[in-house]
Amino acid sequence: MTKRIFSVPTLTPTQQADGVLSAGTYAAIKGGSTTMQVTILEVYQTGQAAASAYNATCLAFASTLETTPTALALPNTDGYMNPNAAALGTGTTVFVAAGTAPTRSPATTLPRMRLGFNAFGGVVRWVAAPSEEWVQYGNATNGGETLFSSENYGTAGAQAVNFIYEIL
Amino acid sequence: MFSIRDSMRQMGYLFVDHRASPGLTPEQARMNGYDPRLTAEGQLYEADTMTCAHCKAVVVKNLARTRERAHCRPCNHYICDACAYEAAQPDYIHKPHIAKVIEALEQSPIDVVPPLTLGSSK
Repeated sequence: MTKRIFSVPTLTPTQQADGVLSAGTYAAIKGGSTTMQVTILEVYQTGQAAASAYNATCLAFASTLETTPTALALPNTDGYMNPNAAALGTGTTVFVAAGTAPTRSPATTLPRMRLGFNAFGGVVRWVAAPSEEWVQYGNATNGGETLFSSENYGTAGAQAVNFIYEIL
Repeated sequence: MFSIRDSMRQMGYLFVDHRASPGLTPEQARMNGYDPRLTAEGQLYEADTMTCAHCKAVVVKNLARTRERAHCRPCNHYICDACAYEAAQPDYIHKPHIAKVIEALEQSPIDVVPPLTLGSSK
């Protein structure tokens, strides 16, 4: 139960409607088992665009899972904040690419956290209070996989994003 | 013992920095629940956020709101307007988010429970 950081140093979360996400436009955290709870404690975004760009970024759940998530490769990273942490037997699956991308749920009954900003010099940081975290549970649809991507507004530019999360 | 005031006081933190950016249009700001005046060019916006105990939706606290915010007494925690509506229905059965997690745990087959032993460097 140690905190981890999932870091995506550069990503262009191209704006798109709910549905199957385009390749290279998202970051995802999926539970490692049907009983794993993942709590996202912080989301930190920094803009990298060279001109004004509205990134309508949000956290949402997947309504259809991806097929064959691609193993994370540099410059993206995911690891324990505390190097003294003992590795869990089962970890999360974090990815930014997959054989077939996941589907961002269009359901009105599921939570969605909008954290939009202007990627031309903008910075957004959201930190949850204790018991106020974004929580996902299991590894199935509609609650077991969190997607970070942009809604279909504006024209997105490049940005970085960090997630601090904990596996329970 | 926590009071309603205490539970409302325990909030998350949102930091939106457009001090070195053209910022957002008022429409874009409202879409995210931000104050448009504080997310325009050269502005810094900081706000409290609250998370619903029943669905875990995160909301930016609207300082101009005069209507009461819903509070779940069994949870002693803030709940969002949508969950408050559900909770007000006569046939409502109280089920906070943690209860849904426990219910899912109890329904899971034994063999998919992850190992309790931690990995070792040995």
